[in-house]
Amino acid sequence: MNAERTPERSLEHPIIWIAVIAGSLGSILLLKAVAWLAFPLILAVVLYYLVQPLLQRLQLAGVTPAQALGIFLGAAIILTLIFSLTLLPSMLSSLANFQDQIPTYWDRLQGVIRDNLLALEGRFAFAKNARLADSLQEQLNLFLAGAGKEYVADVALFLLHWLPSLLLVPFLTFFFLRDGTAFHRLVLRAVPNAFFEKTLLLFDRMDQQMRAYFRGMFGLTMLDTVSLGLGLWFLGHGAGIFGFWDAMALGLICAVFAWVPYIGSGLGGLLAVATVAVKAPQSSGLILAVVILFLGVRLLDEFLYTPITVGRALRMHPLITVMMIFSGGMLGGVYGLLLAMPLLGVFTVLGQMFAEIWFDPRLRARYHARGMLEKQLASKDLGI
Amino acid sequence: MDLTTLFRAPPMDPLLKIVSGVPIFRECNRVELEALKLHLHERHFLAGEIVFDEGEEGEGMYVVIRGKLRANRKGRLGKKVLGVIQPGESFGEMALLGSGPRMATVVAEEDSTVLAMFRPELVALAQARPRLGFKIAMGVALVLELRLRRVAEGHSPEPSST
Repeated sequence: MNAERTPERSLEHPIIWIAVIAGSLGSILLLKAVAWLAFPLILAVVLYYLVQPLLQRLQLAGVTPAQALGIFLGAAIILTLIFSLTLLPSMLSSLANFQDQIPTYWDRLQGVIRDNLLALEGRFAFAKNARLADSLQEQLNLFLAGAGKEYVADVALFLLHWLPSLLLVPFLTFFFLRDGTAFHRLVLRAVPNAFFEKTLLLFDRMDQQMRAYFRGMFGLTMLDTVSLGLGLWFLGHGAGIFGFWDAMALGLICAVFAWVPYIGSGLGGLLAVATVAVKAPQSSGLILAVVILFLGVRLLDEFLYTPITVGRALRMHPLITVMMIFSGGMLGGVYGLLLAMPLLGVFTVLGQMFAEIWFDPRLRARYHARGMLEKQLASKDLGI
Repeated sequence: MDLTTLFRAPPMDPLLKIVSGVPIFRECNRVELEALKLHLHERHFLAGEIVFDEGEEGEGMYVVIRGKLRANRKGRLGKKVLGVIQPGESFGEMALLGSGPRMATVVAEEDSTVLAMFRPELVALAQARPRLGFKIAMGVALVLELRLRRVAEGHSPEPSST
């Protein structure tokens, strides 16, 4: 109908793509600078998107939004109380036992690594010349004598620093759930009439993008947990290494580690292999089986789970994905690794919508016409 | 003190009163209208300002609260005025069915206030409250049926068929 109305063409404008990437990376830097606030804010957003479907289900059953929030809060408080009174004491005592066993685990892990390095030295001359086992032992002793204590102090400081801001998470989530719609309307009031419909569309697309991403991540974590947990249990229960729930807990920890792209899944794999190595040091076949299990689950994750959960949420070229993740990691460390993809998704939608508005001459003309009408009105009022 | 006042519902919001008179929402009860209110965006247009433009993708419908608007359509012989839209009337309902191009340009003839309803928000509302969704869908169907009948009978469609 209007030949000049061709927003699709403007989406491919290189300046928009440069702005999208620069915006995503700049946001990583900004969020890193105010990490104490950004971290609980991001967690609250994640919780908001996970809890919202439950509230919608309640509304479907016929309750009002306020009642749905009340029911959810009541249930959350009751569950927290039950958890605190029943499971928490046993978990804390298990944790205390685990703390006592850390030196034993550490010694066994060192033993396993040393035995394997000695075996390598026996087989290859270069390993023998490099004295791999002895130099690793020296490095570990040095670490424990000096830096280890510093790291413990750093970790303690880190926890002290983060705990208060983590307490903000339920508080922020509550207000997102209660006042999200009102806040959304307040922001929209500031949008000029000419861009109103497009801005509404932008909000909707961003909301869909975030919802799809966080729900996808949740689904992916569950699938990874079940696959790894069942696999570890199947491999380890015969040798008495894992009970069912131990295997599931380890699977969950590894799946959460995998939120950090590339590096996280490697760390998770190392954790599982180290656990098996410590609990059954003589069983190299079992260690190999765990490595194969991890590789198998990684393949399943890449080719099956991710495409059916988060893959379609952010339709990105793999090259851009990899480049963004590594650039994010360089600029923002773990923060950057975690946030690179969701931020890129949000900025892509922003860039596309900006292009649709900015490159549409009719929308801009309407915006300027409103300005002129306001000017004429003011001049008439003033009699000039 | 008159105890009967305790059992009387508080008076309805004036904006909702106007919305309840729009054919699409006529079947909605008060609780449903209150739920709908959360998704209504009040916009003010100056005389001469364009509300939406023929050919642009439509994302929502509007209900006139105050003022007067005019619907135009481009024809072979220039601009054709479809009609004037008054308070209590709605326009742009076709956008609730899909993001097709707007069929006409709507311009404020005098300073006007409208309530905008955005399709994705209404869809989300209908998913959360299927009964309300059904009523709105039936309302849209009813309005479209009336317009089809008018066209079939040789009348021009109403100005709100934008």
